[in-house]
Amino acid sequence: MKLPLTVIGGYLGAGKTTLINRLLAEDHGLRLMIMVNDFGALNVDASLIAAASEDLIALTNGCVCCTMGADLFLAIGDVLDRSDWPDHLVVEASGIADPAAIAQVALAEPDLAYGGIVTVVDAVAFDRLADDPQIGVQLRAQVDVADVVVVSKTAAGAWPARLTGTALDLATVALVAPLICGIAVGQVPDRRASHADYVRWQAAADTVFEKEELLAHLAARPDGLFRVKGYVAAPRGQVWEVHCVGRQMTVSVGKGPVGLVGIGLQGCVTLPEVDAWWNSGDL
Amino acid sequence: MSDITVFAARKIITMDDNCPQATHVAVRDGRVLAVGDAGCANQWGPVRHDDRLQDAVLMPGLVEGHAHMMAGGVWRYAYAGFHDRIDPDGVLWPGSTDLNAVIGGLKDYAEGLNPDAPLIGWGFDPIFLSDARLNRSHLDQISTDRPIAILFSNFHLMCVNSKALDMVGYGSGTNAEGVIKGPDGTPTGELQEMAAMFPIMRRLGIDFRGLSQTPEAINAYAKVAQRVGVTTITDLFSSITDADVDVMLDIMGDDFPLRIVPALGVMGDPVAMADKAQALAARSTDKLRLGAVKLMTDGAIQGWTARMRWPGYVGGQPNGLWNTAPEMIHAICAEMQARGIQMHIHVNGDEAAEVSLDAIEAALRAHPGPGHRHVLQHCQMMDRDLFQRAAELGCCTNIFSNHIYYFGDQHVALTIGKDRAHRMDAARTATDVGVHYALHSDAPVTPLGPLLTAWCAVNRRTMSGAVLGARQCLTVDEALYAITMGAAYTLKLDGEIGSISVGKRADFSVLGRDPTAVNPMALRDVPVLGTVSGGQVHLL
Ligand SMILES: [Zn+2]
Repeated sequence: MKLPLTVIGGYLGAGKTTLINRLLAEDHGLRLMIMVNDFGALNVDASLIAAASEDLIALTNGCVCCTMGADLFLAIGDVLDRSDWPDHLVVEASGIADPAAIAQVALAEPDLAYGGIVTVVDAVAFDRLADDPQIGVQLRAQVDVADVVVVSKTAAGAWPARLTGTALDLATVALVAPLICGIAVGQVPDRRASHADYVRWQAAADTVFEKEELLAHLAARPDGLFRVKGYVAAPRGQVWEVHCVGRQMTVSVGKGPVGLVGIGLQGCVTLPEVDAWWNSGDL
Repeated sequence: MSDITVFAARKIITMDDNCPQATHVAVRDGRVLAVGDAGCANQWGPVRHDDRLQDAVLMPGLVEGHAHMMAGGVWRYAYAGFHDRIDPDGVLWPGSTDLNAVIGGLKDYAEGLNPDAPLIGWGFDPIFLSDARLNRSHLDQISTDRPIAILFSNFHLMCVNSKALDMVGYGSGTNAEGVIKGPDGTPTGELQEMAAMFPIMRRLGIDFRGLSQTPEAINAYAKVAQRVGVTTITDLFSSITDADVDVMLDIMGDDFPLRIVPALGVMGDPVAMADKAQALAARSTDKLRLGAVKLMTDGAIQGWTARMRWPGYVGGQPNGLWNTAPEMIHAICAEMQARGIQMHIHVNGDEAAEVSLDAIEAALRAHPGPGHRHVLQHCQMMDRDLFQRAAELGCCTNIFSNHIYYFGDQHVALTIGKDRAHRMDAARTATDVGVHYALHSDAPVTPLGPLLTAWCAVNRRTMSGAVLGARQCLTVDEALYAITMGAAYTLKLDGEIGSISVGKRADFSVLGRDPTAVNPMALRDVPVLGTVSGGQVHLL
């Protein structure tokens, strides 16, 4: 088992905290550990708080929010050393930080899985900030390293011209948890079900793959299918633990019931496309 | 027995203009009662004479305004650096000037280790070596069974052996960016930045928090300080929990030979950080002075991460990186100034200094308050206009003079070029414009030792022997003032320490020679025999 880690990046005031507040309020059924810069702007319904201290808020739904202190990596180490891992670790990068400098640890650390980088961009301010002589380069880099870019503050019809790649309007996304954390096996009630925002896909994944074959097959997945995770049958009765986000793929020997789930963006990919891709591996 | 002790010395350099030199100092209740000759305290009652220091030269206890507690704790690992260094117990660790020497030294060290203990080194710096880059096969010569990790002097990189790579499963399939691969696609052993180093650190128990804030680390810090005559030192940028304060207070009683001034690292919400700093301030004692904060702005010049004004880096590298956004620097300065909290602000590049001064100026306009003494730390590229502004705004500057010796040649050749290198760490300019300043080592980045730091500021010699900007040299007297009164002022402790004056703490450095009488090129060789802290003698 690996603990997936997602990093939320974006400049001061871009809407990272709003996104985290939405994540905390959603009924996603995941026990999340969320590390934030500060509690100041968090908006948690008092009736949902099970326990709170200076640097930790535990919610009744099993989620925990904590501040990370001066050393984020130490805090991640502390989580990994606990016996009760959360289902997903979410880290809020500070305003000017390079989210990749944090997310890379999920590719390096064997106990972590890469959960991707979600960068939040302010529709109104981004164009100006992206050209700022002091911070423009760092802010454009936050977008360049993102696996998913979401745009906030689009209410007045604003959209940043400086964004060239694919980006999602946060106002049109009803649920943010699938975006940030993906979905668990079993969370696709009907194999054909799709939420308005997302294409949800599931496959049995009981065909045996060699590791190299599987990596090559996953690499050929349709663009727009931005998360795939689960377990795939491996030779000699083993299983592969699979985590794919954006351009990143991790395949390692794991332990769990075979089955894959994927999630894509409505309008960017269709279920038949995903099925066609996956079945092309059934040789 | 009398409660007044009169210490005799060969010479006492007081750093107090009212009585610049003396032969005796009287101490009562840990404080200076009188200064002068053998009879200086007679009017105060019976005295006890202490002649233990009679052959020594006394100066005020030296003050290091920018260092990190890790400078003590890091000695639990093997030193693998280029320059000779002395550990807390006084053992000389000869520098390793090529890779063979590094490997040989570590091999010897490994013989003394428990068979299942990892070998961890620190202080390695390839910038000084002309050999090939350190890689896993070099370290495999030391051992293939024992995991080995060698931290570079900047603590941002490490090199590990094959055993350590195997422990974390790094191989050709590893995609993490900081895991450097060779032409054959396999990891070389070099790991860059925390994300790539973290899995190794976690498994080998390398814990930067454990290198400070433990009783062993605090005691080691005190020993390192005592060896170089330091009686008051900072620990800039630490997280400081209440539990950390408990540990420190437990050890740092009256007979502890060092006063520590930690600064809380500001991360996140300025209001919450200000609350925390004020809560910490309430727990201060004589030996532990809490309440200041430290703010990071840019990176380091030799890592090309310092934020520079025009014309930038000579190699055309992109401008550096902000660790805190300028907008956030403004918000933090405003909050801290409003709350009366002193800030130590890391500024290496001149753009970082400029933005910080802009932020302080705005904060002062919104929340006027004299006596804030915010300190710009490092100040490496500040030129006359920036020092002038610092003076106008009532800021202090703490200049990283050790860089002149350790990295000056690199700054000329590789980072900022000749003109700006010659005017960097501009202590003469600081003196001329009348800004309050100190000089520092940033230990463990460079070795702790204010007399060495003063030597750097006086002589401005680089490792190659070149003089880096002779116009910026200080006189010996100016440099000695900077490492005593100058540094005390930056910590708002000039009323208590920094000179041997009546009423101040009886903190002295005990020297084997008179630093004002030696050839200025020998300033760094003046032997330190120990310290006196609060009237208690701590000879080496
Ligand atoms: Zn420092």
